[in-house]
Amino acid sequence: MERFDAIVIGAGHNGLSAAAALGARGKRVCVLERSSQVGGMAADGRLAHLVYNLSESEKRRLGLNLSAINTISLARDVAHVAIRGGAAEFADGRAHPNAAAYAQLHARLVRFAGVLAHLAEAPPPGFEGGLTSLEGLREIARLGKVGLGLKRLGKAEMREFLRVILSNAFDVILDEIPDGPLAGALAADAVRGAWAGPRSPGTVFSLMYRLGQGGEVFRPVGGMTAVAAAYAEAACRAGCDVRTDAPVARVMVENDRAAGVELADGTKIAASAVLSSAGPLQTMLLAGVGHFDVEAARRARTMRAKGSAAKLNLTLSARPAFNGLNEAQHAARLLVAPSAAEVERAFNPAKYGELPKAPVLEMVLDGARLSVIAGHVPTEPQGGWTKAARDRLASIVIDTIEPHAPGLAALVTNVEVLTPADIAEMTGAPGGHWHHAEMGLDQVLTLRPIAGNARYRLAVHGLYLCGASAHPGGDVTGLPGRNSAAQLLADGVL
Amino acid sequence: MATHDSYDAIIAGAGHNGLTAACYLAKAGLRVLVVEKNDWIGGAAVSRSLHDGWTYSSCSYVCSLLRREIVRDLDLPRFGLQVIPYEGGATFTADGDYFAYHSDHDALRREIARHEPRDVDAYDRFSRTVLRQCRFIRPFLLRNAPDPTSLNVRDLQELLFLVKRAHGLGARELAETMRFWTMSIGDFLDEHFHSPLIKAHLAGSGIIGTGLGVYSPGTAYVLLHHYMGDVDGAIGAWGFARGGMGAISKALGDCLAEAGGVIRTGAGVDRFLVDDGRVKGVALDNGDVFFAPVVASNMDVKRTFLTHTDRDQLPADFTRAVERFKIRGSSAKLNIALDAMPSFPAAPPDAAFLRGDLHASTSLEELERAYDDWKEGHWSKTPYFDMLIPSQIDPTMAPPGKHMMTVFVQYAPYDLEKDGVRSGQNWDDAARKALADCVFDKIEQACPDIRQHIVHAEVRTPLDIEREVGLTEGNIFQGELTFDQLLFNRPVPGWANYATPIEGMYLVGSSAHPGGGVMAAPGANAAREILRRGARRSAKAA
Repeated sequence: MERFDAIVIGAGHNGLSAAAALGARGKRVCVLERSSQVGGMAADGRLAHLVYNLSESEKRRLGLNLSAINTISLARDVAHVAIRGGAAEFADGRAHPNAAAYAQLHARLVRFAGVLAHLAEAPPPGFEGGLTSLEGLREIARLGKVGLGLKRLGKAEMREFLRVILSNAFDVILDEIPDGPLAGALAADAVRGAWAGPRSPGTVFSLMYRLGQGGEVFRPVGGMTAVAAAYAEAACRAGCDVRTDAPVARVMVENDRAAGVELADGTKIAASAVLSSAGPLQTMLLAGVGHFDVEAARRARTMRAKGSAAKLNLTLSARPAFNGLNEAQHAARLLVAPSAAEVERAFNPAKYGELPKAPVLEMVLDGARLSVIAGHVPTEPQGGWTKAARDRLASIVIDTIEPHAPGLAALVTNVEVLTPADIAEMTGAPGGHWHHAEMGLDQVLTLRPIAGNARYRLAVHGLYLCGASAHPGGDVTGLPGRNSAAQLLADGVL
Repeated sequence: MATHDSYDAIIAGAGHNGLTAACYLAKAGLRVLVVEKNDWIGGAAVSRSLHDGWTYSSCSYVCSLLRREIVRDLDLPRFGLQVIPYEGGATFTADGDYFAYHSDHDALRREIARHEPRDVDAYDRFSRTVLRQCRFIRPFLLRNAPDPTSLNVRDLQELLFLVKRAHGLGARELAETMRFWTMSIGDFLDEHFHSPLIKAHLAGSGIIGTGLGVYSPGTAYVLLHHYMGDVDGAIGAWGFARGGMGAISKALGDCLAEAGGVIRTGAGVDRFLVDDGRVKGVALDNGDVFFAPVVASNMDVKRTFLTHTDRDQLPADFTRAVERFKIRGSSAKLNIALDAMPSFPAAPPDAAFLRGDLHASTSLEELERAYDDWKEGHWSKTPYFDMLIPSQIDPTMAPPGKHMMTVFVQYAPYDLEKDGVRSGQNWDDAARKALADCVFDKIEQACPDIRQHIVHAEVRTPLDIEREVGLTEGNIFQGELTFDQLLFNRPVPGWANYATPIEGMYLVGSSAHPGGGVMAAPGANAAREILRRGARRSAKAA
């Protein structure tokens, strides 16, 4: 039987990130990917299409070439708003009346997000060992550092931080700027991929998560494939063995210790550590749920992961033209989020298993291909994701874009509709959720993905979570994987 | 001729919190004056007779949260306060069935099993969790909220108390507590129960009075806010104040009178008199002026500072924070005089649960949709109501054989939408009648003959509540109970200790920690803070 130090299940960017981190420490690592390509959601540009909060150090390490792009929030009256980080103006170059207020709000949120970013760089704070143990003291020191970061904000700002962190995006945005495409853009960013509307408390946290690295939006040169490739290359450079078309059927457990995996074709590979990019429940099922206590299994089952984003890839016969945008502006991230109120309203139908009426969209135009993330679709609509339901979603989305890009419908030659069900099927993301598990306040930090398992480790010795369901969460950050590897090494498993 | 008297302390507003604060101050020897704009005292805790022979608890209607420490301190039973617990409650379905909530544990288990056998043990798990959370939170209610940004000894002590309590829970319980505080009541119930009807019955407490839906994070805490009270030590129990909720205010008023305090009704505060950052007294809308070194406002924080205080006496960032404070009207109230007990065909004859809280919302989805309507400025076509007939237990509420019914309606927006415009002014008589009709239609699901028995009905929209009681937007908690407005954030960060930027001026209402409900904790806490800061009887006071 082949033997490695560690096996990583799933070659999504987090799996690869974990593998690279272990490989760099001289461990022999094998990455097993079910599908025929690496990268997970970032694999081929069919799903994720932009990068938000990848840290500078990570970019350098991966040698990634990312270019920051504008965001243009489309307005019905063609008074589109062009946004770049904290700067906002009308797309035609006129000054925006709320630019100053927006800049201030954005800067404040970015500053606050910076304080939280420290927490994302390491396993979440926790007090399993008790406050008085050595580990507990170390934790207090770490939290102290965050506290110090807060103190440095100054008293007034610290108070503001403690207020808005628990607040909802809708109020925090509209307290500063009037509702419209600018407010809508922020509100949409707060809830993209989330099972929440901007009025839901906790959405400021998810907005800050997005803004953790300064709040710019990046489009990778060479597309998301380049990001996936960079992660794969980093893993290979670290000596990892990355295998595709190798679906894992079960995790072998001996004496409550991870012993390796068995592939679907019956091949067994031995290892003393197994890291899983799948969600906690899927991972428990792979190992055999009998190895976990009832409470942990129940928590894993009730983890909130309702996918709410659908991906539509529109193949067009020619480049479309959007009203009021010049040639260069077509390369921006285009949003249909006319107001925060409409972003909230867009979420309503999803709650009842209905298709959206006026979905919030994020679009990237790539030549004659329009890549669209449609927010707030039901995880499973009433009657299921039938062909009719998919076709209806496609036509709803096209109808939503059409007023901004007249003639678009006629250009569409093919539509690929990827529903949450498809995303779950393609990537293994629990519930097809963009972030593998809802980024609500009840499922972040010490509570992510589930209370009692926040430190990546599960009850089976040597079995770890390394996917986006673990701390700090979704988006292409590489952090869940990296932190998981660090925790595994710190625990002395290898 | 206008009056000009001096006191040691003046309380603006004779709501239950204002009266509580006044009682504590008067018992500490201060000469206290309470001024009230209405001709009666009590604020939202009132009993009013609007139809001959009937007494309405016209705003708040049931009692549980009133802190027993305060009842004991002020010896309220001696002033006639009597709280009678009621047992049970029910949710009636459209197909003629019901789910009955019994306070008897075995009866409740049998009833749950009738609907969904899997939920029987789930209920025990649910109530254990809720009870544990109640036990955790209750000690904080009568303490000041710690300011985590402060290095002042008292704040550090309070913070230490919190950390100690949290540490005492153990890691597992602490995680559970953090999760509970941040999740939605819908998700919490979905985790435990299978039956939509049982979930809907239990979810009501998570939304009453708030501008949030059952699936909004934070509503599990709102549920807690409604469970953390007790009647005679039975945690989570609710009861009627004999004679209506005004009995609480009356007892407080009598207690105050005995302690030498003075109440003046019929003239409200026009302006808080502030000179050089220090409060001097109050000027009333009838021209009277009263002076005192300590002035405490029982009005909500917005009304106090945005309407009745000169803006140039306040720091700009404070005013800004007050403007941002969220007080959203989300509920209406119907008070009904009935000529007989209406029939509930689904219920067994003389069912004890009819003496409790009655509802007709049968799924979480129905409740969430009601919230969606509210967000758009409409009342729901299938509103959630919390309906009680207290006259079954308390004969003082209606003539013999006749009954008084109180119906709390969630969600009714303050800024009603009409022809594309959202405004409180849209609440005209037509809108009021349409709302009432809609509620009666829904009540008919439980008692089809309700309309035949109505002798008199009072419909109170959020606008009516605002106008009469003075609660901004008619919000019953004087401010949303969301995380960003609780503990050290209530009412505004940095000013959670009842003091305000104006020296000598305090907040004693529910805008302050720990928030709304007929709890009296903000009033008692504020009085303690006022006394701690050195308010004392002056020799020259009138």
